[in-house]
Amino acid sequence: MKFSYNWLRELVPGLATDPSALEHLITMKTAECEGIFPAGAHFENVRAARVVSIEALPKSKNKKVRIEIGAGREASVVCGAPNVREGMMAAWVPPGTELAGRTISRAVIDGIESEGMLASADELGINRDHSGLIELANVAPGQRLPDLAPDWIIEIDNKSLTHRPDLWGHYGMAREVAAITHNALRDPVDTQELPEGAGAIKVEIADHRLCPRYSALCFDQIRVGPLPLGLQLRLESVDLNTISNIVDVTNYVLAELPQPMHAFDRDKLHGDTIYVRPAKAGERLAALNGETYTLTEADLVIADARGPIALAGVIGGTESAISETTTRIVLESANFNAASVRLTSVRHKLRTDASIRFEKSLDPENTIRGLARAAALIRQLCPSAVHAGGVTDNRAPAHLPAPIALPVSFVGRKLGKQISGGEISEILGALGFATRESSAGLLEVTVPSWRATKDISHKDDLVEEIGRMIGYGEITPAAPLVASVVPPANPMRLYLRRIRRVIADQGFTEVYNYSFLTAADAERFHFDLGEHIGVRNPIAAELTHLRRSLLPGVFKNILGNARNFQEFRVFEIGHEIHPDGNGALPDEIPHLAAAFYQQHASEQTFFEMKRVAECLLREARFRANPKPAPYMHPERAALISLNGSELGGVFELHPSLLADEGLEGRAVVLDIDLRLAFAAQEAKPFRYTPPRRYPTSGFDLSIVTEKRTPVGQLEDELRALAREHLVSLDFVRQYEGAPLAAGTKSVSHHLEIGAADHTLSSEEATRIRSAIVSGLRARNYEIRGLD
Amino acid sequence: MVVDTSLEELRKATLARFASATALDELEEARVQALGRKGTLAAISKNFGKLAPEERAHTGKLLNAVKNELEAEYERKKAAFEREALAQRLSREWIDVTLPAPGIRPGSLHPVTQIQEEIEDLFTSLGFAILDGPEVETEEHNFDALNIPPTHPARDMQDTFWLTNGHLLRTHTSPVQVRGMRKFGPPLRMIAPGRTFRNEEVDASHEHTFYQLEGMMIDRDVSVANLIYFMKTLLSGVFHRDVTVRLRPGYFPFVEPGFELDIQCLICGGSGCSVCKQSGWVELLPCGLIHPNVLRLSNIDPDEWSGFAFGLGLTRLAMMRYGIDDIRQLQGGDLRFLNQF
Repeated sequence: MKFSYNWLRELVPGLATDPSALEHLITMKTAECEGIFPAGAHFENVRAARVVSIEALPKSKNKKVRIEIGAGREASVVCGAPNVREGMMAAWVPPGTELAGRTISRAVIDGIESEGMLASADELGINRDHSGLIELANVAPGQRLPDLAPDWIIEIDNKSLTHRPDLWGHYGMAREVAAITHNALRDPVDTQELPEGAGAIKVEIADHRLCPRYSALCFDQIRVGPLPLGLQLRLESVDLNTISNIVDVTNYVLAELPQPMHAFDRDKLHGDTIYVRPAKAGERLAALNGETYTLTEADLVIADARGPIALAGVIGGTESAISETTTRIVLESANFNAASVRLTSVRHKLRTDASIRFEKSLDPENTIRGLARAAALIRQLCPSAVHAGGVTDNRAPAHLPAPIALPVSFVGRKLGKQISGGEISEILGALGFATRESSAGLLEVTVPSWRATKDISHKDDLVEEIGRMIGYGEITPAAPLVASVVPPANPMRLYLRRIRRVIADQGFTEVYNYSFLTAADAERFHFDLGEHIGVRNPIAAELTHLRRSLLPGVFKNILGNARNFQEFRVFEIGHEIHPDGNGALPDEIPHLAAAFYQQHASEQTFFEMKRVAECLLREARFRANPKPAPYMHPERAALISLNGSELGGVFELHPSLLADEGLEGRAVVLDIDLRLAFAAQEAKPFRYTPPRRYPTSGFDLSIVTEKRTPVGQLEDELRALAREHLVSLDFVRQYEGAPLAAGTKSVSHHLEIGAADHTLSSEEATRIRSAIVSGLRARNYEIRGLD
Repeated sequence: MVVDTSLEELRKATLARFASATALDELEEARVQALGRKGTLAAISKNFGKLAPEERAHTGKLLNAVKNELEAEYERKKAAFEREALAQRLSREWIDVTLPAPGIRPGSLHPVTQIQEEIEDLFTSLGFAILDGPEVETEEHNFDALNIPPTHPARDMQDTFWLTNGHLLRTHTSPVQVRGMRKFGPPLRMIAPGRTFRNEEVDASHEHTFYQLEGMMIDRDVSVANLIYFMKTLLSGVFHRDVTVRLRPGYFPFVEPGFELDIQCLICGGSGCSVCKQSGWVELLPCGLIHPNVLRLSNIDPDEWSGFAFGLGLTRLAMMRYGIDDIRQLQGGDLRFLNQF
């Protein structure tokens, strides 16, 4: 939202604070300023000039123009404007003037030195007419352009005005400025001047909740024409396009009070009643922006006897629009339900200067003020106009909120600074609140109508008004007095931290991937999109679903980094999002996904990742994955369990996944459900075992078996057979080849056995070993190198 | 005096052999010949008994003296050989210590993780609980319970990803406030770091996925003065130096009064530079006293309890700390970037 400093100063006549100091004060006390810009500084230099003579230039559409620039002096400029003619009064920009970011110089054009230039209204920033030179009236050569003065524009961040409907116009901001700078505020409105009597037009409102108030006023003998240049400049400098005196007046009131208004050509209306009603489904409106909207029953329209003439609070229609031939008008000054306007605006993707304001909950008391201000401007700018009837005012009963009871001590407690009742009354008074001390230390605060629609309803809201006006810098910081307590623990978070540390220490770098899944990811990994939560309004066409696996993200990390590194390790800890069919929130499962990529990979690549898994999960057990997923190497996939809980897998990515992307090399991936891992770890609390006091005895065992018998299975057998005697079991080696039969292998382990309460005798040790050996033989294993 | 003469000859001859020995075995050989059990000295000693008693004392002394001298010289020489042998061995054992060492090196944690953990520790030390909330949230938690009803224009401030299951991706970590209040009730000190989402086009300074850290303190009589004190203390901890803060009005529906908190520019100290756009201040975080409606919606009586809340942008802090100028790097997974941290 842009504010004109000159406009504000008109409403706060005593304002002596310069624009940049004012910008700072507004930021500190009211709302965030995004910047401050000079507007029209060139009007210091621009002068009226009469065209004396025009000389065509050969082979150019430009002409050499002699101009009279005051005090009998003349100058030459080169000009290409089609409307330049002898005797016209033009706007001359002398050399050295800054205009639209460039300095006008003594340029040589078509061989002629041009002393500055003659400008269009667009070039001067007055309006958007760039068809030719602006033609001036009532001014002599050498004089400044009448009513066109340099200004400063203060731009406020719209977000910081979300709760302040009153600040969407200059008058509201002027009230703030007056309060901040301790100046008087001048009200530009005089409702006494409104004509009396019955309105010339009737207004029927179908639902006062959607339209709490609709006020209207009619004029006859209107002459549509341009607005004076000064007012055009003012509107343009706050980004309002100028159109014609009548339309511009409505915009002026919108930008000033702020009261959005609309003017209808009364001769184009059917009947003498304006209806405010929900649209009928399928009704259409050709709008002023050139679009045609098909309406729904949820849209509120302004209609005449024949159909919609405007979309309430959003935009007017073309059929009843003001044109150059308009002579009779209806001025609308209404109040619409904020939510309804907002929904219509969102539904039709149409945000207008009016809808932005209405959706903030404007003050219904402002409609009459809007009419009074517009009427005064029309009488001034269009002297031929005459009133037709008085004001039509259809409104819901005004309901003003009850005053707020504000204990003086409450303000002190909330701010942490004592403020007297007198000070409070003074501050609130400057902002338009009425205060009355109803009992000792208790103020009764009446909220002004323009703050009562949404913004202020609690005593806490008043604390903010007082605090900001005092200035938060005036509050001395004070340590909060709170009890010292141990906060609730979050062991899962500590566990995740530990996992992060451990895997990072194993050479893995943490990545963050998006929570989204693309259809291409799903296809590559054979995921069923139907099992994923969809995004109704995806940011990009491909990010349509929420991930329920971290693997596609890690896969992208592999693709991205394989271009730069021959080998690398990455991991991510993030949420898998598993939908709940019943519309409840999905289950979000923290997972670890890690990848180890090697351009020159081997079997050891897998075992390196398995080692990492063992670093993360002490005592993890691995077994071949009986049903490897399509994205896994079918022969290199293991399931991981911990304390009986299956919680993840380690596998080589299916080689074709990488090959399809033109990548050599292999990647081994680790995927762990960290919620299960944490639970499995918690389920088996750590207990200390005293070191053995008696020596153990050890021996090696070599088992000959079929080549694909898993060593893990042999170890399970050995553990089961050695029972409580087993102290440790270590894999030594495995061997294939002569003299073993083809298709077999020999697997050697070293076993240490012992007893807790004595040293095993050699007979005991032999007996235990024999029991293990015979147990193995009973299970049809051949024991090698044993008598 | 024959013995004396032969002893002296032995002494001289042996010392000469020790001196000329070039290796440990030569030295050893000379020692065995002179001092061994069957050596010259032993042979001389055999004649000891034949000496006249008055000569014995004198010759005995001399014998011992020669023996001691030769043994000492042997030890000295032997030690010298050993020293040299060690020196030679060590010299042969030269390695190029500048060769790269094998084995893996630690990877690194994401810069946002690092900042987040640091701040979590800071809050833990101040008695705050660290709470978690889901990334997929209900509309009620994300908006309504934070005083943002469905038609509130504030919803425009947060472009939302809506999901087919009727829920949404949380647009801020603030819904965890609601969860915290409802679970623990007052008094409460909590933070909630995490991933948040806004439906925005991605460019160098905008991301649809970013990280926030929400915090709140609820107790009796928590004031703006307390908030200022606390934020100053906290931010001094975050930036490892004393920081100056200022509050100015800011609108967030879940706080009243609401603030934008600025810190005095750490680059120029407030005199104005390009980082603070010559203002001397950098906008850092939104905060405020918790809106009574928000307390009430989470079953806390605002007449009895009050509190403050704030939201730190972890993404922003990480970018500030490390001078990261392109936000896309954080989700980009490029190890050339991430390995640096």
